[in-house]
Amino acid sequence: MSTHPQDQTERMLEMLDNLESDKYQLKECKFIGEKIPRRIDGLAKASGQADYTMDIQLPGMLYMRLLMSPYPHAKILKMDTSKAEKLPGVRYVLRYDDPEVMEAYIIGRNAVFFGEPDKPLSGVAHMEGELVGAAVAAETEAIAEQALSLIEIDWEERPFNLDPVAASDPSAPLSFPERYSDGNHFNRGVYDELSHGDIKKGFAEADKVVEFSFKRTANTWVGPERPCGVWKWNGDCAEVWLKHQRIHLSKSRISEWFGGIAMSKIEIHSPYQGASFGGWCQIDWNLGPLWCAALASKRSGRPVKYIFNRREDFFGGSMDEGTYFVKVGFKNDGTITVVDASLYHVNAIWPVFSPVLHLHDNTRIAHIRGQSKSISVNKGHTVPTRCEMLPPVLTQTLVLDRVAAELGMDPTEVALKNDGCMGHDMEWVREEKKKRGFPGRDSLKECIDQGKAAIKWDEKWHKPGTKRLPNGRMHGIGFTWTHEWEDSKGSSEFAIRIERTDGTAALLGMGADNGVDAESTYCQIAADELGFRLEDVNYNPHVYRGFYRMTPDSSSNMSVNGWAVRHAARILKQKILESATSPSSATQRGSFQPAFPDTKPEDLDIKDSVIFSKSDPDRKMSMADFVRLDGAGGPFADDEFLGTRVGWSEPLFASSYHVQYGANNPVNPRPHFCRQAHFMEIEVDTETGEIFVTRIVNVNDVGKVINRMSCEGQQYGGSIMGVSRAKFEEVVHDPVTGVILNGNLLDYKIATMKDLGPIGTILVETGLGYGPYGLVGIGEDIATVVPSLLAPAVYNAIGKWIYDFPITPAKILKALGKI
Amino acid sequence: MNREIKNYVCPYCGETYDSSDGLKGHVFKAHKGRSLPTAEGRIRLIINKSEHIFQVEPSWTLYYLIHDKLGLTGAKQFCDRGACGSCTMIVDGKPVLSCMILAIECDGKNVETVEGIAADGHPLIEAYVNNHAMQCGYCTPGFVVTSKALLDHNQDPTEEEIVEALSGNLCRCSTYPQHPIAVKEAAGKLRSAK
Repeated sequence: MSTHPQDQTERMLEMLDNLESDKYQLKECKFIGEKIPRRIDGLAKASGQADYTMDIQLPGMLYMRLLMSPYPHAKILKMDTSKAEKLPGVRYVLRYDDPEVMEAYIIGRNAVFFGEPDKPLSGVAHMEGELVGAAVAAETEAIAEQALSLIEIDWEERPFNLDPVAASDPSAPLSFPERYSDGNHFNRGVYDELSHGDIKKGFAEADKVVEFSFKRTANTWVGPERPCGVWKWNGDCAEVWLKHQRIHLSKSRISEWFGGIAMSKIEIHSPYQGASFGGWCQIDWNLGPLWCAALASKRSGRPVKYIFNRREDFFGGSMDEGTYFVKVGFKNDGTITVVDASLYHVNAIWPVFSPVLHLHDNTRIAHIRGQSKSISVNKGHTVPTRCEMLPPVLTQTLVLDRVAAELGMDPTEVALKNDGCMGHDMEWVREEKKKRGFPGRDSLKECIDQGKAAIKWDEKWHKPGTKRLPNGRMHGIGFTWTHEWEDSKGSSEFAIRIERTDGTAALLGMGADNGVDAESTYCQIAADELGFRLEDVNYNPHVYRGFYRMTPDSSSNMSVNGWAVRHAARILKQKILESATSPSSATQRGSFQPAFPDTKPEDLDIKDSVIFSKSDPDRKMSMADFVRLDGAGGPFADDEFLGTRVGWSEPLFASSYHVQYGANNPVNPRPHFCRQAHFMEIEVDTETGEIFVTRIVNVNDVGKVINRMSCEGQQYGGSIMGVSRAKFEEVVHDPVTGVILNGNLLDYKIATMKDLGPIGTILVETGLGYGPYGLVGIGEDIATVVPSLLAPAVYNAIGKWIYDFPITPAKILKALGKI
Repeated sequence: MNREIKNYVCPYCGETYDSSDGLKGHVFKAHKGRSLPTAEGRIRLIINKSEHIFQVEPSWTLYYLIHDKLGLTGAKQFCDRGACGSCTMIVDGKPVLSCMILAIECDGKNVETVEGIAADGHPLIEAYVNNHAMQCGYCTPGFVVTSKALLDHNQDPTEEEIVEALSGNLCRCSTYPQHPIAVKEAAGKLRSAK
C-alpha cells in the first residue's frame, strides 16, 4: 500500500504557517480563474428541488412555536398555561419553570448576552422577542400559534434603554440588572482598545484638527428563510436538521445536552440555507429553541420542528449599530497624523473590533487610538451581519473622505498618500512583501487606477454641491477603499474519495451552503490539481461523511478550505500515480500487476481524468478503467482463472486540513496587502430628498480569481445590499413602548431590482493574498464597505455631510434646511 | 319539528323540502345525470397539468396546500404577507402570490409551479443556472415562475419590461443584475425554437 511521501507532508506543513506567499502554484490551470457557468447547486435551486430546513417534514412531526417577550424589559410574575394545554391538537407545553429547563445551562437562546450560560426559556426578558415563559408543540403551526395566544401572563414591566449613549449615563435605568447591577457598560466599560503611537504627539504635528460624530441606527440581516430546526430521536441517537452557519460547533454543543450525547450518535443534516449573512451564525442564539424542540421530542416521542415567524427574525441587528466620535489631525498636504475615535456600541457581545482597526491595518497614520464600548440596551444583540468589520470600515471612509473634503483634495489622492500598514509607510510594506515572497505590486494604486478609468472619475469628480444636472438633480460621486480581509480563525478538514465504477471524485466536507457557490469553487481547485475533468469532480456539503469544512462557515472560507482541498487533491494525485505503478493485490491465482508496469509515479500524469505516460501519451488509462468495480464484479470479473490483473486499484482516498489564526493575531500579525476600491455615482433630488444611485464600480484585488462568476456575484450582490443598508434599512423602535414598529418586509424596506443603476465589477489579481494561489476572500467585503460610501457621494452632491445612517430623504431635506 | 323539515336541503341548488321523498323527487327531476355533489371544502385543481382533488380547510392558503400538504416545496415563504414574490405560482395564466390567496378560492383553477416549469424543460431553468441568477436560492423559484408568466405573454421583453415584471420579487443576496440576462437568454431560445 502506498503512502504519501515525506516531501508532501513537509510541503503541506509549510503551507500551514499562513504568513507567506504560496510557493507551490500550479503551472497550468484549466478551470481555476475561468468563467464557468456550472453551478453545482444551480439546477436544484432553479427548479425548486433544493430543500431547505423550512421544507423538512417528517412523519408524525410536531410544530413548535415559542413565546417571545412583547416587552423590551419585563418579568413574568405568574403564568397560566392551562387553556393552551387543553386546546385540541396541542401535544406538549414546555414551561420556563420546568425542572429540566431550570437546570439546563450552556444552551443558548436569543437573549441579549447570548455568549454567557443561560437557560433556553427565561422568566425575565431584556429585549422584545426574548424567549420567555413557554414553548408549545402541536399538530400544526397554526394550532401552536393559537395556543401561545391562550397563555395568560402577569407581567412586571420594567424601565428600559434604547440609546447607547443615554444608557451609558449613570442615571439611566439598568438594562440587565440581574447581571450588571452597577451600570450598562457590558464587560465593565471599554471592551476593545487599539492604539499605536502617541496621540498627543499626533495632534501636535497636525496643521488642522476636525472633530465629528456619526451614528448608525439598528438594521438587520433579513434572512429569506426564517429561523427553524428539526429534532428527531432515533433511540438514544439524535438526528437534527439545522439552519445554522456553524454546524460542527452546534454539534459540539448538542453533545453536552441531556447528560451528554456521544458525538458519534448525533447525525446532522445541513440542508440548503435561505441565507442569514452571519445573522444566525452565532452558535448559542438559536440553539435554545432547538433544545426546547429536543426536549419536547423526548417527552412526546415525536419529531419536533421549531419555527420563528417573520417578525421574530427582526429581534437582533447588525454590528455597526452605535454612535461614533472621531477626532482627526492632518497636515495640509493630506497626510493624516492622528486619529482618536470611540464607539458606543449597541449590545455587541463579541470581542468587537476597534473603530480604528482598518485605519491601523491600511494606513501609515503614526498615531491612532480607538475604543469600543459595548453598551447594554433593551434591544436585540448585534452580531456580525456580513461582517464585524462594519464599524472600522465606516470610520475609515468617513475619516479619509472628511480630510479630503476639508482640504479640497481628491479623496483618491488622500488615500494613496496615507496608504501603508499598521502605521508603517509603503517602503516598509514593499519590504514586507519581498520578505514574505509576494510580488512587488501596489494593490491600492492598481485598484484606484482601474476604478477611476471605469467610472471616468477625472471627468466627473467636482467640488461639492456644484453640479446640477439637466434633470434638475444634483450630481455626486464618491470613493472609498480598504483592504480585502479574511481574518477568521478556524480550521477546515476535507477529504476526496475516488468512486468505484466511473472513477469520479467526491469531495467530502460538511458545510453550510451560503449561496456563494463555494462548492463549485472547491471542485475547480480539485479538478485542476487532480488533472480531472470538472464534471468528474462533485461535492455534496449537506451530509456528514466524517469531515467539516471551515467553521465558522461563510467566514474566511476560501483561504482555509481552498488550502485543505488542494492539500487533499495533491496527496490523492500522488496516491493515484503510486497505485497505478504498484501491484494492487495478490491472490492464490497470482498477483494483480500494476496498471502501468515498469513505470515510476513520476513518469505518469493525469489529464482529463485519464492517466498517461508523459514519455508516451498513447500509453494511457481512464480513471474509470483504472479503479473498476469492487467486490466480485471488480477485480475478478474479466478473467478470474488467469489470475491476472484485470482492473483494480486500492481504495483511493485522501484527507487533509488547514488551520488559520487570522490576521489579527496580536502576537504575530500578518499585514494585509490586497486592497479594494469602490466608486459610487448618485443623483439627489433636492425637492424630495430622494437619492438615486446611478452607478457603482467595485474594484477588488482578490489576489487570484478562482470562480470568476462567484466573485462578480459578491461584487454586485454586495453593492446592492450595501446601498440598501445605506439608503433604506432601519429597525424602528417605539421610544414609548420600546417595541419594534416595522418588523416586516412591507415596512422594513430592502432594495428591489429597480433601486440601483448598473454596477461595474473589476477583479484585480496581484497574487498578494495569503490563501492558495495568492488569493484572498471577497464574500464579506462589499456589502460591508459600500454602505459607508453613500455619505461622501451625498456630500459631493449637496455639499453637506450627513452622519446619520440610513441617509433618508428626510435627512437630505433637513441638511438642506428645507424641513 | 320545524328544524327537521329544514334539513331536507338539495345539495345541488339549496332548495328545501318537507320530506325525504320530496327532496328525492326534486333531485331526480331537476338534477338527473349530474355527478355527485362535492363535500364542503372539497376542491379540484389542475396542478402542473394533472388533476388533483383536495379536502381543504377554509383558512388554508394556496401556498400551504401546495407546499405543506402536497409537498411541492419549490415555492417559498419569505415575507408571509405579499411583499416578496417568493411564493409566486401561475394561476390561470397570471402570477399570483400563493400566500395571499385561499386554496378554496382556487377551485377549478389551473396552477403552475416551478416544479412543473422545470419538468417541462423550460429554457428559463438552464438560463438561470448559466447566468448564476441565484445565490442562496431561496427566492429563485419565485423569480423563475414570475419570469415564466412574463414570457407566456411576451416572448421578446425589453430590459425595462423584465425589470418591471420582476421588481416585486425580493432577493436578499441581491442577484438582481443577472435576472434580465437570464430571462432574455430564455426568451431567445423560446423564439428560436418556434
